Amino acid sequence: MNGLWLVAQREIRTRIRTKSYLISLAVSAVLVAALAFLPKVLGGDDTYDVGVVGEAPPPAAQLAYSPLPDEAAARKAVVDGDLDAALIKGDKVLANGELDQRLGLILESAHRDAQIKAAGLTITPLTVESVGADARYQGVRTGIATLIVMVLFFLLIYSSMFVAMGVVEEKGSRIVEILLTSVRPWQLLGGKIVGLGALGLVNLVVVIAAGLSASSATGFTADLPPGMGGIVVSAVVWFVLGYAFFSALAAAFGSLVSRQEELNSVLTPMTMLMMFTYLTAYFAAVEPTGTVARVLSFVPPFSSMVMPVRTAAVDVPLVEILIAAVLMVVAVVAVLLGAARVYRRAVLRTGARVKLGEVVR
Amino acid sequence: MLEIDGLRKRYGDKTALDGVGFAVRPGEMFGFVGANGAGKTTTMRIVMGVLDADSGEVRLGGRPLTYDDRRTFGYMPEERGLYQKMKVAEQIEYFGRLHGLAPAAARSATDALIERLGLVERRDDAVEALSLGNQQRVQLAVALVHEPAVLILDEPFSGLDPLAVDALAEVLKDRAAAGVPVIFSSHQLDLVEQLCDSVGIISAGRMVAYGPVGELREREGRGVLRVVVRDAAPGWADGLPGELTREGDRDVLLCEEGDDQDILRTAMGAGRVEHFGRRQPTLAEIFREAVA
Repeated sequence: MNGLWLVAQREIRTRIRTKSYLISLAVSAVLVAALAFLPKVLGGDDTYDVGVVGEAPPPAAQLAYSPLPDEAAARKAVVDGDLDAALIKGDKVLANGELDQRLGLILESAHRDAQIKAAGLTITPLTVESVGADARYQGVRTGIATLIVMVLFFLLIYSSMFVAMGVVEEKGSRIVEILLTSVRPWQLLGGKIVGLGALGLVNLVVVIAAGLSASSATGFTADLPPGMGGIVVSAVVWFVLGYAFFSALAAAFGSLVSRQEELNSVLTPMTMLMMFTYLTAYFAAVEPTGTVARVLSFVPPFSSMVMPVRTAAVDVPLVEILIAAVLMVVAVVAVLLGAARVYRRAVLRTGARVKLGEVVR
Repeated sequence: MLEIDGLRKRYGDKTALDGVGFAVRPGEMFGFVGANGAGKTTTMRIVMGVLDADSGEVRLGGRPLTYDDRRTFGYMPEERGLYQKMKVAEQIEYFGRLHGLAPAAARSATDALIERLGLVERRDDAVEALSLGNQQRVQLAVALVHEPAVLILDEPFSGLDPLAVDALAEVLKDRAAAGVPVIFSSHQLDLVEQLCDSVGIISAGRMVAYGPVGELREREGRGVLRVVVRDAAPGWADGLPGELTREGDRDVLLCEEGDDQDILRTAMGAGRVEHFGRRQPTLAEIFREAVA
């Protein structure tokens, strides 16, 4: 275990000092923060600017009043587009062309309320009760799910790639010959996976923190659905499982070749599987209740991305999550054992690309 | 004692090793010599457990080598391998730790080796920034940092300048003097002859000559008498057995039979005898003959 830990430490120490790691960390954090801002930016302002001539009406949600000296100034401001509408002395509305329907309703109801109040009447508003599922947060949850798909895919492919590159570096430079006389193959492989995985996890946590703080900075947090903590935990846990699966595959395929130039072609089966997982997860983010999403959220390795997406998008019974997790853990163990076997047999066979068939027997 | 016994290895239908065996005592320096592709590297890789033999065995102190034994070995593979972007001192220390040294011990061993191998000014440079000769010194330091119980070095001298060769030779002598069996391969036969207590010559996967250097030279001389005579009249050796060749203004007579005293008398009568003795071929000569 000591050997594994030493290898992991070296991976972390070497990688964390490189500019590329720090840059990718910063870029991903900024990217996610920007995505968290995006709904605000795209959705634009959701308050209406209303100019007021005369006495200001009582404040209303979604209305921002600005006092104006007279009707002429109000007309000019509305025509220039500085205001969405102007309220003249409490009984007339100026609009540029047709009045925005929603703004019209708000103003009309405020006007009516004021008159009713002035007449000394009190009215009780309607109470609303949802008889379906709580759909208030559906839009936000779908957004978060989509974000999780992208972040998980990016981090998984990025971290697994580094594992494969590290394996080829050691094999290509033959340093592996010396390494394997002082540590066991599983220690070398495991250390690399653990070390680079820890860095990927740091990256994930930074991205989540950046996303959450950006949303709270924009006041978006108030709109975040309850159970956000659970969504975050599930993203982290599924990242760890998915990473263990894909990085072990990456290491096994990587150990077949001796040169970085050959890496892309030898990794193709793994990247294809990852792309496919990504696409199904993306599909699941759009249609989280569909049969495809439900079924694939149990099937490893698709579950590593589909399940956290489903969890974010809709409420998934805990037992389903546990079943999917157990299946994934079984798959991870199988892949780790297989990868260790391929790695052990292939990593010392330098030179031409080793055929997978020769080492799995 | 490190014993290599009857190693066989085939790659497909090509035989790489065909029963290679020799033994190296504690404190003995063993030179492993052979043409390219003769099987030196394959043998050393099998000893280090990097490769599995088809049959045969490597023993240390009479017991088959285990992984834990090998962890105490120092190994320099034929193809050098270092982390190119890692700093010199950090790299040596890392390998010390991997071999089981405690942090403080790894650090002090690293400092001592850096001093000894003349890398002090390079200790914080990345390996890729070093000259090939210096990279090789680092490679050697990596093999030595844990005070190995056995040293297996594949071509440690290739690519080194004469000063570095001397430094490396000193280090190897030191290790041998400390009781460590040292095996190294080399094509620099004069160096092997100078440094090694015994040599093994391998050709096409078989040991063709093996033993202490002195014994080997005597044995391979096969008792042939070598006489060098200067200023002798042509035809002086006509009555003697053996083969006469002319090298410059000297006559060289090689005799496999006949009475040595008779030959000496005849030679002295013919001219100035500059050399008279049993032939002791150089390692290079033995090598050429053995692999021919």
